[in-house]
Parts: sequence; C-alpha cells; structure tokens
Amino acid sequence: MHNARHIVTAVVVAHDGARWLPETLDGLFGQTRPVDRALAVDNGSRDGSAALLAEAFPRVITLSRSAGFGEAVAEAVRAAHPVEGAVEWLWLLHDDCAPAADALECLLEIAEADPRAAVLGPKLLDWLDRRVLVEIGVTVDKGGRRETGLEYREYDQGQHDGVRESLAVSTAGMLVRRDVFEQVGGFDDELPLFRDDIDLCWRIRAAGHRVLVVTDAVAWHAEAASRRRRRIAATGDHPRRADRRNALYVLAANLPTGAFLAALVRGIVGSLLRTLLFLLAKQPANALDEIAALAAVLGSPGRIRRARKRRGKAKRKTYPQVRKYFAPPGQGLRRIGEMVRGWLAGTGPVESAGRHHAVVAEPGEEEGEELLSDSGGLLQRIFTSPAVLLTLALLAVTLVAERSLLAGEGRIGGGALPPVYGGARDLWDQYLSGFHPIGVGTSADAPPYVAVLAVVSTLLLGKPWLAVTVLLLGCVPLAGLTAYLATRRVLDDVPARLWIAASYALLPVATGAIAAGRLGTAVVFVLLPVYAVLAAAVIGAERRVARRAAWALGLLLAVGTAFAPLVWLLALPLGGLAALAFGGVRRGVGVSLAIALLTPAALLGPWLYTLVLNPPRFLLEAGLHRPGLVDARLAPEALLLLSPGGPGMPPVWVTGGVVFAALAGLLLRRHRLFVAAGWTLALFGVLVAILVARTRVAPVSGGPEAHAWPGVALAFAATGLLVAAGVAARRIGELRAAGGVRRLSATLVVLVACAAPLLAAGAWIWKGAQGPLDRDNVSAVPALAAATAGEGERARTLILRVAGDGRVDYTIVRGRDPLVGEPDIPVAEDLRKRVDAAVAGLASGRGGDDVAVLGSFAVRFVVAPGKVPETLARTLDSQPGLARVSLSPIGGIWQLTRPAPRLSVVDAKGAAVTLPAGRVNASATVPSGGGGRLLVLREPAGPDWRATLDGVALEPRVAEGWAQAFALPEDGGVVTVTRAQFWRDAWVVTQGLLVLVVVVLALPGAKNDDPLAESPPEERPTGRRGQRRRGRTPDTVGAAS
Amino acid sequence: MRTFVESRFSLLAMVLVASLALYGVALGSRPDSAAPPVAPPVKAAVHAVSAVCPDPAGARVSVVTPPGRGERGRAVTRVLGRPEPVATVERPGTPWYGEARERAPLSVSADGAMAAGLEAAQTGRAVSGRLRGLSAARCVEPAATSWFVGPGPASAEVLVYLANIDDTRASAEIVAYTGEGPIIGDAGRGLLLAPGEHRVVNLKDVAPMAQVAALEVRTHEGRVAAAVRAVLPGGGVDWLPAAAPPAPRAIVSGVPGGAGRRQLFVAVPGEADALVDVKVVTADGTYALKGREQLEVPAGSAGYLELATGLAGQPASVIVTSEVPVVAGLMSVGTGTRQDVGFTASSPPIDSGSVVADNRSSRGQSSRLVLTAPAAPGRVRVTLLPARGPAPAPSQVEVPAGRTREVRLALPPGGDTGYAVLVEPLPGSGPVYGGRTLEERARTGLMLTIQPLAPARTWTYVPPVADSAAAVTD
Repeated sequence: MHNARHIVTAVVVAHDGARWLPETLDGLFGQTRPVDRALAVDNGSRDGSAALLAEAFPRVITLSRSAGFGEAVAEAVRAAHPVEGAVEWLWLLHDDCAPAADALECLLEIAEADPRAAVLGPKLLDWLDRRVLVEIGVTVDKGGRRETGLEYREYDQGQHDGVRESLAVSTAGMLVRRDVFEQVGGFDDELPLFRDDIDLCWRIRAAGHRVLVVTDAVAWHAEAASRRRRRIAATGDHPRRADRRNALYVLAANLPTGAFLAALVRGIVGSLLRTLLFLLAKQPANALDEIAALAAVLGSPGRIRRARKRRGKAKRKTYPQVRKYFAPPGQGLRRIGEMVRGWLAGTGPVESAGRHHAVVAEPGEEEGEELLSDSGGLLQRIFTSPAVLLTLALLAVTLVAERSLLAGEGRIGGGALPPVYGGARDLWDQYLSGFHPIGVGTSADAPPYVAVLAVVSTLLLGKPWLAVTVLLLGCVPLAGLTAYLATRRVLDDVPARLWIAASYALLPVATGAIAAGRLGTAVVFVLLPVYAVLAAAVIGAERRVARRAAWALGLLLAVGTAFAPLVWLLALPLGGLAALAFGGVRRGVGVSLAIALLTPAALLGPWLYTLVLNPPRFLLEAGLHRPGLVDARLAPEALLLLSPGGPGMPPVWVTGGVVFAALAGLLLRRHRLFVAAGWTLALFGVLVAILVARTRVAPVSGGPEAHAWPGVALAFAATGLLVAAGVAARRIGELRAAGGVRRLSATLVVLVACAAPLLAAGAWIWKGAQGPLDRDNVSAVPALAAATAGEGERARTLILRVAGDGRVDYTIVRGRDPLVGEPDIPVAEDLRKRVDAAVAGLASGRGGDDVAVLGSFAVRFVVAPGKVPETLARTLDSQPGLARVSLSPIGGIWQLTRPAPRLSVVDAKGAAVTLPAGRVNASATVPSGGGGRLLVLREPAGPDWRATLDGVALEPRVAEGWAQAFALPEDGGVVTVTRAQFWRDAWVVTQGLLVLVVVVLALPGAKNDDPLAESPPEERPTGRRGQRRRGRTPDTVGAAS
Repeated sequence: MRTFVESRFSLLAMVLVASLALYGVALGSRPDSAAPPVAPPVKAAVHAVSAVCPDPAGARVSVVTPPGRGERGRAVTRVLGRPEPVATVERPGTPWYGEARERAPLSVSADGAMAAGLEAAQTGRAVSGRLRGLSAARCVEPAATSWFVGPGPASAEVLVYLANIDDTRASAEIVAYTGEGPIIGDAGRGLLLAPGEHRVVNLKDVAPMAQVAALEVRTHEGRVAAAVRAVLPGGGVDWLPAAAPPAPRAIVSGVPGGAGRRQLFVAVPGEADALVDVKVVTADGTYALKGREQLEVPAGSAGYLELATGLAGQPASVIVTSEVPVVAGLMSVGTGTRQDVGFTASSPPIDSGSVVADNRSSRGQSSRLVLTAPAAPGRVRVTLLPARGPAPAPSQVEVPAGRTREVRLALPPGGDTGYAVLVEPLPGSGPVYGGRTLEERARTGLMLTIQPLAPARTWTYVPPVADSAAAVTD
C-alpha cells in the first residue's frame, strides 16, 4: 500500500454550529495537504449554518434535526462514490472542530507509514483556552466511563506528544480508512451522539486494525454538544443521560459474554453508587439521568441482543487485543473517590477526566472552609490555623487529664455508661429489630441514639468503643473546635474566639459528663455551638441558606434530642421566642424555625411520644440513671456558676471568670441587644437547670428515683454567657486604647476572664478524670454462662450486685453483657415487677417460690460479680433449688437446679421437654404426645409471635400469665417459631427515608437551581455565579461561556 | 424610668436581680438531706424453710413455730427419702413433740405461717451406757458451708452426719483444722451425696491425731445439712452446735454456771497465726481471766484454753477477739460420778429473736437461759410456749451492759411434757447473745446439754431491688 494513492474525503457535519463553523471551515480549507473531496452535512441547523456551508461547499446534504452524527456521515459516504485504485480516507470534522493547518498532513504521513493504521486522530485542544488538552485518544474503563488519561484542565506542554495507540479517538478530526469503515458497518445507528467514536474504533480494532493518535496533528474542539453550549436535537434526552446510556450500550454490545455479564453488574452497582452521590450532592437531575440511563439500557434487551449479533462472534477472540487499551481498573474507583472528595470539600462531584460527556456544574465554595487559609503549604496551613492549634491544645489537656482512661485492662464503662461491648453490627441489629432478646425479652423500641451511635461506629471501623471514646472522651477538644468555628460569624477577634472556645470546652459540664460517662451530654455539648451558628443562619441568612440551615438544625437537634431529649424542650421556647421576634421582620423565618423545631418530632416520632406520655423522662439522657451520679443537694451557687454537680467537678469558682466577663459585658453601651439576649439565654438556662436539678426521675428500667442532672441546661446557660462575654471582648481593644480607668478595668476583665479556662484545665489535669467511668470493666458474664446461653436451651443469667446503700441491682442477660442502649429499652412493667419481687425474695432468703419464678423466666445461673457480701453468699447458698457452682473473690456463681428452657413442650401434667431454640426464632422437632400439650416460649406473649407445626399455624395461648405459648396437637412434627416485625420495619424504613430527605435538604448543594437546565449560550447567566461565589475554585463553565 | 433604661447600669442591675431571684429559688428548693431516701429493706415473713434433724432415732423430736399473724401453713416432717409424712404440724405457737424410731435423718419442711421462725430439735436422753447423758441437736437448714469446733478424734469419738434433702446431688468436703494444721484427707474429700442420701463420716478417718478440731463442711455443688456428734471416752455425749463462720470477733454464749471443766476451743482457719484475746462476761462484768488473757493459735489449726477456775462456776459468755478470723466453741463438763458434756459455740446476736424448741422444767430437769449483752443494755421478752394450753404472759428481762444474766425458766401450765421458749429483743435493746442449758440432776451425776440461741428465721429483710445494668459495672 506504500505506493498506493491516498485520497482524503473530508466530511463536515454541522448542527447549529454557526458560531464555530467559519473557523472550522478556514481550518479545513487552509490545510497544507488539501483534501481531495469535501462534503458537508447539515443536520437541520436553524442558526445559519446551512448558509455558511452552502457558501463553502458545492453540495450540502441536508438532514432532519433529529439525525445523529453517524447518520450524517453515513449519508455523506453514500453520496461520495468510492474511488477505484486508491486508498480512500474519510476525515470527519465537527462544526466546532478547527484543525490546524498541517493537521491532515501529519495524519497522512503516519497513515502512509503504517499500513495497519485504519483510524488516526489528532491531538484535541480546547477551543477557547488553546493550551488546554481536551483529548489525546480516549479509552473506557470496565464501567463504561470515558477515560482520556488527562488531568482536569491539563495544559499541553508536549508531555503526551508522540504517535501512540489508543482504544479510540474522538470523531472530531478522525481520519478513518473508508474501506475499513464500510467493512465494519460505519457508525451504529443506536448511537446518534456520544460513544459512537469508541464503538466504531472498538469494532475496527476488533477487525484487526490499529487506532493511532498523532499528536503532531492538532485540532481545536469546542465540545459544544457535550458542554451544552447548544441544544441537542439528535437525542431527546439530556446529554448526560444519553452519554451514560450509550456508555453502557457500547460495553454491552462489544464485550464478550463473560466480560459482558461482569460489566453489567459493575455498571449497575456503579450507576446506583453515582446516583446516591448525586443525590447527596443535591443534584437530583443528574441522579435521575444516571438511573434513567441504566433503566434505558436494561429496559431494552432486544436492542442489545441485536447489536451483539451484528458484531458477530469474534468478540471473544479479539477481546484481548482491545482489552489492553482499556483504562486500568483503578480508574473507576479513583474517579468515585474524587467525586466523594469533591463533594466533601463542598465543590460538588467534579469529574476531572473524560469531559467528553456532560459536565456537571459544580457548586461554589460553602461555609465552614476556614480551617485552611489561602496561603502556604498544607502543613503550614494546618498548623498555623488557630482552630487546629486550639483543638490540639485541648486535646493535649484532655489526654493528660484522662490518663487513667486511656489504657486499661478492660472495656470503657462505668457511671452512666454500661461497658461498651459488641460491634457496630450489634448496634444496628439492636436498632432495627422489633424484639430484643435481652433480659426477660421486650418488644419496646431501642432508643434512637443507638442508630446515631451505630452510624458513628460504622464510620469508625465498626467499633462502638471507638465511637464512644471519640464522642465521650474527646468531647472537650471537639466542643472547643465547634465553639471556635461557631464564633466566626459573631467575632473577628481571634484571641477572643479562642477564649470563648476554650472556656466553653472546659466547662464543668464537660468534665462532669466525662467523669460520669454521660455520653448524651457529651454529644449535646459538642453540638450546641453548631446549634447556635445554625440558628443564627436560620434567623439571619439569605432565605435559601436559611432554609438549608433550618433543615440541618432540625437534623442535628434530632441527633441531640435522641441523646438528651431535654435539648428539644429547651429549643422549643427559644425557637418560639425567635419566631415572635424575627418572624415579622424577615420573610420565611417562621417557616424555617418550624422546620428546625418539628424535624426532631418527625424523625423521632414514636420515641418522643413515649416521652410525652412520661414527661419526667425528658430530663434523662442516654445511659443509666443512678443516684450516685448526681448531687442531690446541689448548692445554689454551683448552679449559678454552671457547675452541674456529681463526679468530675472542679472547684465551683473555676467558672467565675466567665460569669465576671459576661457581667462586664452588661456595662457596655454598644451591642446591648446581643448582651441582653445572651444573658436572657443564660438566665433561662439556669432556671431550667434549677428545675431539672430539683426533679427526681425514675430510670426507664425501674429502680430508685434520683435527681436529674442539669448538665444540658447549664450548657445552654453557658452558651448565653459566652455570647454576652464575647460581645464585650469586641470592645476590649478600644477600651485598652482609651487609657485611664477604662484601660485598667479592661485589663482586669481580661485577666479574670482568661483565668477561667486556664484554671479549669489546671484543675482537670490536677485531679484527673476521676470518676465512676473507667477502663477496667471485664465481662460480668462467666464463661460457663456465656457458653450455655449459646446452646439450644438458651439459658439466661441473673447478675446481682449489692449497691452501697443496701439496694440490690440486678439484670438478666443472655450470654453476653448488655450493649450500649440495651439498658434503655424498657421491659413490660408487670414482668419487671414480677422479676423484681423474685429477685428481692431471692436476695432476702425468705424461701418460697422465688427461685422457681426466676426459673420460669429461663434463668439458669445466678451470678454475683466481684466480692460477694457474706450475707448474700449465705442466703444464696441456703436457697433450695439453687446450687453453688463456685465462689471466689472475683465472684460467685450459682445454678438453678430446675431451670426452664426458652422453648419447651409442657404436657398436661406439667412435665416439660426442652426444645432447642435460637436467639429469637426457633425450629425443632416435637415428638407426638398426649392432648393438652403446650409449646411454651419463655418470652413475653404478644401477637407478633407465630408458630407452625409442619406448616400449620398453631393457636396462640398465654402460659403462666405472661409467656407466649401455642396449643400443640397430639401429633408431632417440625415446629417453627418466628417473630414478625412489620411495624418496626415500617417505621425504620420511614425514618430512614425521612433522614435521607432531611440530609439531602440540609446538605450544601449546587448554587444554581438546576444545573442541567438547558439554556442557550447567549442567555447563560454568567454574572450570577461569578458574583456569588468567592472565586477560589476555577469556574470552568462560566469561563467557557 | 427612661434614665434607668438608658443607664449603663440598668442591664447589670436587672441581671443581678434576676440572678438573686434564681439563687433564692435554688436555695428554697434545695432538699434537706443529702442522701436520697433509699427505700428501706422491707421486713417480710419467711415463706418456706426446711430443717434436718441428723439422727433422731430414740430421741424426742420437737417442732415449733412462734405464734404469728400469718395465714395457714404446714410443717411436714418426713424420714429422709420417704414421701409419706411422719407428722404434720399446722398450728403456730404450739410445739409438737414426738418420738422418732428410725435411724435416718428427719426433714422438716414448712411453708406459709409455719415457716416463719420454724425451729426443730432432737433431744436424746440415756441414763446409762456409753451414750449416757442429754444430747440435743438443733435441726439445721442445709447450707453450703457449716462450721463446728470441739474435741478432736484423739480425745473423743467424733462423727460427722451429712444429709442431702435437695433434689440435686451434693458434693461435700470436710476440712479439719487441728493442732497440726488443716487436713482434708481422703475420707473427707469428694463426698458425693445423691438426692435424699445421707451418710456418717468418722472424723478419725479424716484427722486421726487431733486433740481439738474445728470442722468446715463445705460443698462444691448443692447443699448439705451437717451435724457433728462427739462421744467422750470418759463419759459424756452431745451434738456440736454449728458455730458462726470465722470472724475476728466471736462470742461464745450460754456457758452454764456450776462446777466442772469449761474448755474453750479456738480455731484459726486462715493463713496467719492468731494471738487471741479472751474475755469473759459474767454477772459481774466483762474481764480477762488472770493468766488466761491470751491464747496463741497457729494458722490453720485449733487450740484450747481451760476457763473453769477463772469462771468460778458463774454463768458466762466468752468474747474471743483476734486480728484474724477465728471460730470458737466451748465444752462444758457436768459434775458427778459419771460425767456428761454439753457444747456451745460462737453465735450471732439474736436480733430477730430466737426460739428453743425443747425445754423441760419437771422431773429433775431444769432449763435456764444465759443472756449476755456485751455492749449496750439488753431488754428481751421471754415467752414460754407450752405443748398444751395457752401461753402464759411473757416476762421481760433486762440485761445490763457488759454483763451476763441467767434466767431460770419456770414450768408453764400445760408444759410438763415440754415447752418452747421464744426470746425477742425489745425495741431499743442492744445486741443480746445467749444460750439455753437443759440439765437433769441424775443420781450418777449431772446430765446437760446446751444450745446457743440462734437467730430465728422468722423475718427476713427484703432489700429494694432495681433492674439496672449497673449490676454489670461497679
């Protein structure tokens, strides 16, 4: 072929391209190696393209607006008769693709040199910024994503130059051998736009030819269609959807069967993942495109079957030739990673590579990005940020103070926190299930904070102890960080902000929450500054931002409420006040406030309702409520000085500086409204704290009443005080400049104020985080009991501990220690009383049927961990029906001589046969027997239990006044016991959807209303985006238009 | 007004007034007592109780429950291992007496009104032969651990009676703390008792050489009712009462007056040697005996001290104190040509009252209470419950602080076949310890038996309970 004559037929396809066409035509007709023939196809342009073409070409083929690129080329090829005795080349040009003068020459040079080359493509550069690389060949990954191998906006510095093979080249400027083109059947009609190039090159490669990129040849390409700079008529869909659909189609049509199936799975998963990401980024239109594309491909299997048939059976044989030009497998993951990162960074899911499909308009910079300042290297930026420095300092203080909690033999726990066992999965199980196989069994709902904890645990490697460690032990540095960031809008004075944040983080509320293991207060304490800043946005920000802030506030209020429901009660009157004050002034504030306040009610509905039925429980929080953790006679001065009492309290005067500074703020004449508002909040918080501290509440699980802990209310009060003090801090500089008495008093205030956080930190470090919380908790369930609980009998264990005041605390466990959250799941009142009475009787040694009652609850072991008081040991020893297994200084174990199994068959005479059972459901073989037999399941009777015998439903009964039983016929068979949980499932799904909706509504999204709204270039609102954003991120779309 | 509002100090004044008001509210609502009122333990009648008489063959068995306000109840007496009852007692307040024939333990199981304070005893009497003397045993509840202290196999024939009345097997072990240290021995190890089984172990097989022995009968699983009988070669037989578990302070009460040896046994089951202080409490006060102030007992062994000369025939209690836990008991030897012995042992105070089922005050027999109030003055009410007829009016007995008082029990009407005695501390009384001595003046010599007053299982205190995961943390 070396000596063969080469003929080049240029085909220009235009569609509303009058903006670019003149330059394109100049490029075409100014080639150093002129084309031999030139044909133009106009796909129904309405902008004068047709006229331009008519001027330049002798003949213009006119097609309808809906015709695609491939159809146009096919039409042109049909019109140009083949030339005998020559190698004919087709040079395909878009109307927005201007070739450099020597482009064709360079391409042909290589084409002549390499007889196997059937397709050659130029280096494509950007139309406007002519140094920016657009494409140098293109490939796909196994998910169908187009991959150019270029960085986002990569400049051409010759780094990719050279002739190279590629899977495909763009149709813009593509030089393709006519015979090969016709041999493979031209473009696929199913691909009017997008991916036609890849599909064609794939088939050409499969036919044994080569596809080359010749970087010496250059063309400038505007990518008008894919960048939505013009309407697309060839396909009715959004370009993104068409692009995705075609991507999947090309893969489906060309891959051999095995790879096809794998790609199908990958495509489905990838599409769903991207849909989710787009939803999270609040780009529902993109999400819709993504999912619609998938549906379009999956929905027409016939199309794919035909396409595959057309491509013949050689797919598998030639696949290795094609596959090596695929993008490496990591690319897809990297891309998704970039999307996630982009989304987290608030810039939206920008896809850096493969721009030859729809480009998503990225949202501008969002708030909260001030961690990083503009200049300097990353490390320097991080370590000079005051927020980071403050957090590190607080972290150091925390680590020193919590030295006793950081290492230990066992699990963290104590005080209000039950030792943290299990994994995130256990927490999910607990939250999702409608029946809890704990204690004597309960179908009450798990408290919603378990779900929050499960989410955090899942993120933290699935380890709840890590989640608890971070949230509880780390609450001081976290609260310092949130407080510092929250003050950004109020104050621009960094030292004052640092003071506020440090004072807040080191409040006695925090140290007390840590010492007593109050996870609920710790979480609320961290969230409170966020509430403040979001509430400010709801009231003061521009309407759309305010609405978003309202959703976010509602969501976070729900989280806080789940941990400490008092938060919601406190927020209601404050929100009401704000609505009264600002509702008339700013439009939409009332609605936004209503959103913020009612979202928790919607998200936590059924659980909040149980609290409403039992209002004192609003004063409780996540974890155990025990008398030893509160100061029942909390002094008035402690309440006024923000000290909530209980373990972990510094001296009461430590917070004096904060109060003093806030009082000083009252003397200023400016910003009196802010100071007054802060003080109002503070006094309100203290009033609520007094009421809380003086109220006695019974724990959810029953037991002695104890005073509630006023930590949350005092944290509110502290927030108010710090607002008042912070306002004063703005004037400090002025006052000091003023000199004289003012200067003196200002200095005094500063000194006293700064003493507060320093003293608090010092006191905390000095005393350490001493408290009931420790890290020495070991399992209270003996190995014997744990092992037995896993067997079919499902034996339960009663754990007894004599508290200091003579009270006996007990809990029934099933082979493992209680998980976080489980103690907060109430047991039916009547059952609890029955067990209470039996345990009390057992501990008193009065004899009688107490042991038998415990046995009827399937209790088999009685365990007293730790050193067993002599009287208790003697009492248990002398109990008929109870035999000692062991007694040592680390604890005693007794065993019931006649325990009842979880599942048994009880005949009319009362004789029982044990059946093996699972944790919830059971399946076992029942022998045949006499009449009047009962299948007894020792769980609280309820309508959700179902039992079948060989598939026939059994009639439910109630045994011993509480247990679920079923009447058994005389015949034996396989009996199956299951539990339905329709309502729990229904609520959890509803709640999940509600949370999703609120999250989506709350998340920062794209700034323009609909990033995919089609707008003609001249109408594109270039200014709006530019003005609103701060211009730090490159504005690709705006700049281009 | 306007000037006030515009004044620099107006806000400050308002805040200060509001703060003062809050202070007032907080002060006014502050509860008076720091401790949150914890529900006190509830006094509740015992619902069910069982007792085992170790070997009542030929002896008189007594069963009594103090009169109460309870509803109905039954105390059923059975020979161990047989379902049919020997006797059923349904009237609280009236003792029941019967003769047992079979050489097998007898179990007494009571519920309802009969359970609250059930007391049973077996009293044997022989006027001649090797077993001459009064030998009484309080029928005890099965337990996981029982303590006894008395003469060892070298100075007496000591038999340990074990019975398992539960429906699960029991595995027991006998540990002897002798002068030579703790001994378990093959005979004392791994004593398996099937449900309803009983057996007798001769202590000689466990620790043959011991002069003095403290015994710990403990179970690895299940419970056993344990009893120990000692037969002295020189004459004298009796059952050893169960002693209080080891404690740094033990009060051996009910030492009868009169002549004869008084031998104090002290055992130290722990791992440290003990220097034991011994004091006696008599009608004259509390004092240490000259020359017998202290007793040295090596770890894991037992020792004894003769007290007769110091006591000079006075009824007394002995207070034994040590830095390490000790178990103490006392042997009292009667006078006459043929001797009889009685044993007492350290016991807890009778805070919840105490019942002795079998007392007699006729045909040469006499019953006496020896009451001691070691710390604060004691005031007790003594009620006699005759086998027939109504109970006479109770009498009140005052015991001065730090002294012992002997009370002779007069024969109540209808009590000639026997009567029970109920001793209840009155409100405001200090802790009272005591013992009951039953004596018979026979021609050949005094026969006696002693029973330290054991707290009656009439009431128990039901503690407040809370279903709380706090049970798994500390």
